[in-house]
Order: sequence, then structure tokens, then C-alpha cells
Amino acid sequence: MTGRRHRGGGPYPDRLITYEEEPVRSMLGDKRAIAVFIGPALIVYTLVMIVPLIWSAGYTFFDGSVIGGFNFTGLDNYKQLLGDDAFWASTWFTVKYGIAVTVGQVGFGLLLALLYTFYLKRASALVRTLVFFPVVLPTVAVAAMFTKLFAVAPQPGLINSIASVLGMSGDRDWFGDSGSAFIVLVVMDVWRSMGFYAVLLYAGLVDIPDDIIEGARLDGARGWRLVRHIILPMLTPILLSSVIFSINGTLKVFDSIMALTGGGPGDTTSPLTLYMYKTAFSFGDYGYGSTIAMQLTLLSLLVTLVIFRFSRKDQTR
Amino acid sequence: MKLRSVAIAAAAMLALAACSSGTDDTAASGPLQVKYYSVQQPTEGWPLVFGKLTDDYAKTKPGTTLKVEVAPQADLDQKLQLLASQNNLPTIFNAPNSNELLQQMYNSGQILDLEATLKELGVFDKLNPAAVELVKKTQGGKLLGLPLELNIEGVWYNKKLFADNGITAPTTWEELSAAAAALQAKGVQPFAASGQQGWPLTRLLGNYLFRTVGPNALQDVKDGKAKLTDPQYVAAAQAVADLGTKGYFGKGVGTLDYATAQDLFLQGKAAMFYMGSWAVRDFGNQQTNKIGADNIGFLPFPTVAGGTGTADQTPMNAGLTTVVSKKGYNAEVGAWLKYIVEHYGDRALSEIGLVSGFTANPPADASALTKGVVTQIGATKQPLLWFEALFPTKATDTATKNVTRLVTGDMSPADYMNTLQKAIDQG
Amino acid sequence: MSTPTAVRHAHETAPVTPTLRHRPKNRLGRQLRRMPLRAAVALLLLIEIYPLVWLILSSLKQEDEFSLKPVWALPEGFDWANYSEAWTTGHMSTYLRNSLLATVPSLAAIIVFGVAAGFALQVMVWRGRGAVLLVFLAGVMVPLQMVLLPLFTIYFKAQLINSLWSLIITYTAFGLPLTVFLMAGYFRAIPPEVLEASFLDGAGIFRTFAVVVLPMVRNAILTIALVQFFFIWNDLLLSLTFISDDNLRTVQTGLLNFVGQYGQRQWGPTFASICLTVVPTLLLYLALNQKVMKGLTAGSVKG
Repeated sequence: MTGRRHRGGGPYPDRLITYEEEPVRSMLGDKRAIAVFIGPALIVYTLVMIVPLIWSAGYTFFDGSVIGGFNFTGLDNYKQLLGDDAFWASTWFTVKYGIAVTVGQVGFGLLLALLYTFYLKRASALVRTLVFFPVVLPTVAVAAMFTKLFAVAPQPGLINSIASVLGMSGDRDWFGDSGSAFIVLVVMDVWRSMGFYAVLLYAGLVDIPDDIIEGARLDGARGWRLVRHIILPMLTPILLSSVIFSINGTLKVFDSIMALTGGGPGDTTSPLTLYMYKTAFSFGDYGYGSTIAMQLTLLSLLVTLVIFRFSRKDQTR
Repeated sequence: MKLRSVAIAAAAMLALAACSSGTDDTAASGPLQVKYYSVQQPTEGWPLVFGKLTDDYAKTKPGTTLKVEVAPQADLDQKLQLLASQNNLPTIFNAPNSNELLQQMYNSGQILDLEATLKELGVFDKLNPAAVELVKKTQGGKLLGLPLELNIEGVWYNKKLFADNGITAPTTWEELSAAAAALQAKGVQPFAASGQQGWPLTRLLGNYLFRTVGPNALQDVKDGKAKLTDPQYVAAAQAVADLGTKGYFGKGVGTLDYATAQDLFLQGKAAMFYMGSWAVRDFGNQQTNKIGADNIGFLPFPTVAGGTGTADQTPMNAGLTTVVSKKGYNAEVGAWLKYIVEHYGDRALSEIGLVSGFTANPPADASALTKGVVTQIGATKQPLLWFEALFPTKATDTATKNVTRLVTGDMSPADYMNTLQKAIDQG
Repeated sequence: MSTPTAVRHAHETAPVTPTLRHRPKNRLGRQLRRMPLRAAVALLLLIEIYPLVWLILSSLKQEDEFSLKPVWALPEGFDWANYSEAWTTGHMSTYLRNSLLATVPSLAAIIVFGVAAGFALQVMVWRGRGAVLLVFLAGVMVPLQMVLLPLFTIYFKAQLINSLWSLIITYTAFGLPLTVFLMAGYFRAIPPEVLEASFLDGAGIFRTFAVVVLPMVRNAILTIALVQFFFIWNDLLLSLTFISDDNLRTVQTGLLNFVGQYGQRQWGPTFASICLTVVPTLLLYLALNQKVMKGLTAGSVKG
């Protein structure tokens, strides 16, 4: 019995697949075929990701630069990390930003998906396309637009103009303090990507058989209750994927912050990636830069594991 | 067996990739191709002049070409660092923003000491001695980069706006503040400055220090004889912060980019603009300059009451210099370089009105502003460096990034100087 | 997987009735209740369409209009010069070609390698596949900046710097984690019986994969290709690091041709270039939109 069962791998370890027939098992266990299927991907991936990753991990024990040469310093970089205010500030910013944007992207994505499914129904194709559109735009264009929208000088941007029409202060310098600059950043990245997550979640929603939803409605489930007790549980796997992609993307944010605030004012909107990039390439301290990047990788790993653990618990309940 | 062919194709792709030759740097034979890695576009500035001169040079040495590759200034250091790590720097390139990186390149034997090289070529006298001194001060006592520009800095002002509001050109900081207050009272923004760049604001801070503490103010900090947290230094930060908190830089100074800040001045919306004389090129552009070149005046940075600095001590710089790779250098490149050095000064002036650190005779048709710059350079008793010139890179970054917080009041002068001193101590 | 079962059972016992939306009495109330929703949709469309319009209008503006006029102002005249500048000074045709030359092979490699790997990891049976899948998943977490220096060194030694190959290989490797992860999910939805039937018909594993499995995930592949396309198309950091030859630049680095020494940008030609490059991608998306929707709705992503 146990020989006929095996646990599925990686992202979906809960699933048990059983193969009843012996020839099927041997067919699926064909070593040569497995090598052909996975070989190319594994080779490219190992050479271009794993080897450089380990290589860079090695740099975390060294001090020096790519030109002057490196000296082995043991754990000095890690010790320096503990007392580095800028590192902790960047870490805090990264986490804060990751959570805010992920909640925004997936949350609005879900709302949009519900809108497409239950309100727009068949008419939703055009709206879906339009909401997806920002994904196509280069970062530099999006950032330029948000800079202008939230500008106060040389011309008040749209947001400040609307604010003054509504009787509020129309000369707010949105990029002048860390709090409001953070808000603009989050709004921008949510706006950019919510369409993508909406489409992803919409796919999951459409996939829920109509009779289940109709049945639940007949049982008196409406509105929020329908969403909470029927739709969300059925969407859990795809929501989980969405959250994992979103958080891993946002923890590694670089382009949009570079283009919109450059990490400013001061270093108050500087994520770990930017701090790492500057340390390694502007300040010429590659070892310490790698150490920072390593923490970001570990942070992503930790967050992903927490999400997995959390979702597992949720499902067994 | 579709899949096997796929796997073979994949292997072939990798093999092909490994064999295909991407770089052509090893091609030694054939006519000389000089690779210039620059932050300026081929259609402007130094690459433009170099291109024209190379075309002329090619008349005697047919086939000589200049290939300009552009790197944004923000990414210049990263690219140079990576290229240097493979000992594969381009023939000539803009010096990295980080002086430490430049010194590392020199110490590892990747770039030339140009004083020796140019003396060998017999053209060292083509350089303006003052410019050479200036470059040496910032490059660890050696001439590693060519001073392709020689700029003075100061306050450019809109003559008409001054006259309309009954303001005479201020010569002291107090007068400058009074002028700014008067302008603001009339609804004219006193200063335009790019907070996104940061350095246009820290320059004010540095110059204020040179006027109060004296020309050695920042050398003393470097030598550890003074701290940025000393009262006189914090007072300078306070003076600049005051300009900001009184609103003299206008709204949203932190996001203004270089071009927009300059536009504010050239469109007559701001009365004063602290900038280097390289901007004279843009002042001459009638498309962007709506106030007219004749309407722009120059003020040496004002003196501060009780300070030891004087108005004939002028902030000067050689712009971003251009260095020469040792590996790429040979007799052929030497001959080309000799030609460039012999002709650069005059050509830069005649072609784009650029005053350089090379000897030159201003053409008769040079603009009044250009002539003024030449006169001002001649009248300078002592050149001053800029605020961050002697800072380590990390402190430079801290200074320019946080200065907008200083002028918006988000960061106190004491905090600002304290953070900066810490960065210097670490570097 | 566990949650909906209760619902399903409840539903199975419920009588089948026509849906509620046919009740006429509620129509007016329904209309009223829908007003806020309508407004929300209108607002949504506004914030999505406005940027597109703004982008196109901006591409027709003259340089000083950006600082002199408010952000929503219409262009003073149609300044097509921006487009000719984008095409000539900006070398947009070259950059478009390079972007395509880098993107298409990377996409092909990502799909071929990633789909095959996903199949091996999810469907085939072997020791250590869980670990390998985790290794791939870890790739989602590696920041690009961390591997720049080693990659640069490797490519330099292999003489791949200033060659589109460096981009193609890197894009492929960075596209694989997501692809493998997603494909493994899609393959889970394939019932084992389908494979069994194919094997019993005498088909080998490769034939089964090509003839039976691939058609079932065709739309999913299209979807992944689309997602990867945007990642590759919008890459700036890699192309900036590995390519400095102007003739080999991609669209995103090409936009830097309008940036001066002090970061000052010529916005008119920049926006014109963006329009020139966005239009083809948008058309591509519109053309594929239906298929992508089918791909996503093919029932594969869900648990």
C-alpha cells in the first residue's frame, strides 16, 4: 500500500496521488525520462542562480572590494549588521512596505475579481483588460506619472489640485516626508499590479462551480457571508500563491522606489535592495553588501515559510 | 522523441552561448577605436568635442574612431567597478563619483597618472596649472583625470526681477537673506534649487563654511582638527536650513530635478539660482531660456559678517574628469591623446562655449556670459572645493540625500551634522 | 480541498431552483443598491484610462510644457517631433529589435524547460523531487542584486558581456522558479487516469507528455508566457549591467538616451518612445487576452 502512494512535492505537499497500475508507476519512475525533463532547467538554474548565490554567500565572510582584493574577516560583517541602524531601518521599511503592498495588491485584486464575477459578469472583459493595462507600462513611465500626479512644484499635480478644490490644503509636498512618500509608493505599486492579481483570482473564482454558489445562496448565504464561508475557502490555494508571489516581489522591490523616490527623503524609503546596491556598488563594500542581500533572502524565506505554516493550519481546521 | 531534441537544443544553446564572442576588445590590429565611457550623451559636452576632434585626427590617421557608450551617472560606479574587477576598463572613461574607487583603480595599476603621461607626450603645458592643482586636491595629490571643464560656482540672478523689486546685488549673506525676504514678500520665489540632486543645496552649506571658518574649513574636518558638530559648523547648517524653512526654495524642493529647477529660473519664476558655470551652455539656449541671456547676472558667493573668508575665494571644480585606462593605452592611443590635449581647449570653447582646464583663447564671438566666466576665473585668488569634495563616498551620499530634510525642517541642523560626522568617522 | 466538502453535501440535498435574479419586484431596489457599485466601476475605469490618455498626450508635448503647464493640460500642438526624435536619436527600432531578440528566445527556453521540469517534479515519481522543487521555489526569493557580481564575472570569462546571450541566459534562469512552481500546480489538476489511459494505449512517457499532457495545459503555458514576457520586457537592471554597447541595448535601457548627466530627462521623446513600445505589447495582450483568460480559467490553478 505504501509503495503505491507517494507524497506530492514542494508547494502542494498535502496531496496524495495513488497510481493503481504497476506499469504506470514504472513509466513515471523512468530515470532517463526524468533526467531529460528536469535536466535542462536544473542545469541553467544551477549555473545562473545557485552557483552565484553560493558564491555571493561566500563574500559575506570577506571585506574589501572587487578591485583591491578581499580579506577574510570571518563573521565581522554579521557583527557589523547587528549594530547598523541603516540596516534595521531598511529592514523595517522593507517589511512594512511588503505587507502594505501585498495586502493592497491581493486585497484589491480579490475585490476586483469579485466585481468581475458577480457584478460585471460577461461584460467584464474590457474592464479586466483596462485594469491589467498598467502591468504593461515601464516603471519609468509609471513613476513619472505618479511624480507628476502628486507634485506640488513646479505645477501642482492632480492630487493637490483636487485637494484644493475640496477645500483642503492644496500644497502638500507628498514626497517631502517619509510617511506620505510611503503612501504614494504603496498606491503606485498597488495600482500597477492589482489588475494582474485580479485576473489570477478571477480565474479561481470562475472555476468555482456555479451550483455550489447557487446552493449556498439557497441556504441563505449572501454577500459577505457567502464570500467568507464559501468563496474564500475555495480560493485558498490560489490566494496563497498570490500572496507568496506578491510578498516575494515586494520584499525585493527596487525599480519602482529607485524611479519614484530614490529612497528619499533622506534614506527613509530605502528598502534592503537599495541599501545593498549602494553599499556594494557605490560604497565599494561588496562583502557587506552581500551580507545585507543574504538577510533579504532569509527574510523572504522566513515569510514564505510562515505563510505556508499559517495556511496549513487554516486548512486542517 | 521531441523532448530529447529539446534537451539537445538546450545544450546547444548553452554551448553556443559559451562560444559566441561578445566582446571585441582584444582586436589589436586595424585602425584605432577609442572607447569612451561617459555620463554625457554623444551629442553633448565632452563626448561631442572628443568626437569632432577625433574626426579631424582621422584625416591624418584614417579610420580612427571614437565610440561613446553612455552610462547614467547613478550607475557609473557600478559599471566601472564591474569592468575594473575584470581588468577591462574602456580606453577612456569618466572618473567614478567615488574617489575611493578611483584611488583603488590607480593603486591596482589600472589607470594612468596623467601628469607623467602628458609630460612624456610633451603636452603637459597645455593644461591650466590652476586646474591641475584643483584636480590634484580632490584626487589624492595626483592628476588622474583630465579637467575637461573648469567651472566657477556662484549665484546667478535674474537682473530684471531684481530691478523690478528694487533690489541691488547682495554681497553679504545678510543682504542675500534680506533680498530673498523682499522677493518673497512680492510673491517671487527667491531661489530655485534641485533637492533631488541634493548637491546644489549642500554647496550653499559648504560655501557658508568657507566664508565663516575659512578656506580650510573642510580640510580641517578631514584632518580631524574640527568636527562637523562644532558650533560654527552647525551654525552653517542652521543658516541654510533657515532659507528652507522660510520657504525661499519654494514648494516641493525635494522632488525638483535638475532640469525643472533650472527651468524655474530660466522661466523667470525664481530670482536666483546657485549653479556652476557649466550651466552657461543652457543659459545660451533660447528654447529653454525665456528670460534672455543678457538678463542673467552672476554674484560671487556672499561673505558672512565676522567670517574670515573673502569674496575672491571662488568655489571651483573641474566637473567630472576623464581618466585613461592603463591597459588600453599604447603608442597609438598616446598619439591620439596628444592631439586631443593640444586642441581640446580651443575646440571646447568654440564648439559649445565650454571653459576647460586647458589653455585656450576665447573666440571673439563668445557670449558675454562665457567671457564673464573666463574673467571671473582669472580674478580668482584662491579656488575653493565643494562641501563633500574630501568626504568618503558614504558621507557624500548621506550629505546629499538628507539635505532636503534639512531644508524642509524634517531634520534639525544638529542632527544633520551629527549624522554626517558619523558617516565620515565610519568611512 | 477539505473545506468545500461540507457545502457540497449540503448542496446536493438542496432542490434545484431558478436563480434569484428573475424576481421582478426587486428590480428598482436592486438598481438603487447598485448605484454605489456603478460609481465604483466608473471611478475604476477613470483611474485606469486616465494614465493611458495622459501618456499619449504627454508624448505630444513640447519640452517646456512639462514645467510650464499643469499636469492635465492638453498639448499646445501635436508635436510629432518627439516621435521622430524617438525613432532617430532614440534608435527605438534597434532597441525594439534587441528587446525582441532577447525576449523571444528567453520565453521559449523558460517555457520548454519550465514546463518539462514542472512535469518531472509534480507528476513523475522519484526520490528527492520535493527537495528539488524547494530549491526552485527558493529562487523566487533571491534578490537579483545579490548575484550581479558573480554573474558578471562568469559572463565576462565566457565573453558574454555585451552580448544578448547574457540576457537570454539570465532571464531564463530567473524565469524558471515561478514557471516551475506554477506549472507544478497546473499539473496537479491532471487526473492520474488520463496518464494511465495513455500508457495503457501503449504510448511512452515522452509521447504522453507531448500528445496528452501539453494540450491540457496549453492555455496555462500561454498565461505564464505572458507574465514572464512583462518581467523580461521591463527589465532594466540586468540589461544595464550586462550591455553597454549602444547597438545592443534593449528598450528600457534605450530610454536612458534621453537622460542627461544630472538625471534631467527629455520627457517628450521619452514618452513618445514609451508609446511606441507599449502599443505593440498592448496589442499583443489584447490579442491573447481571451486565450489567457481561458488559460487561467482552465481550472488548473485552483486546488
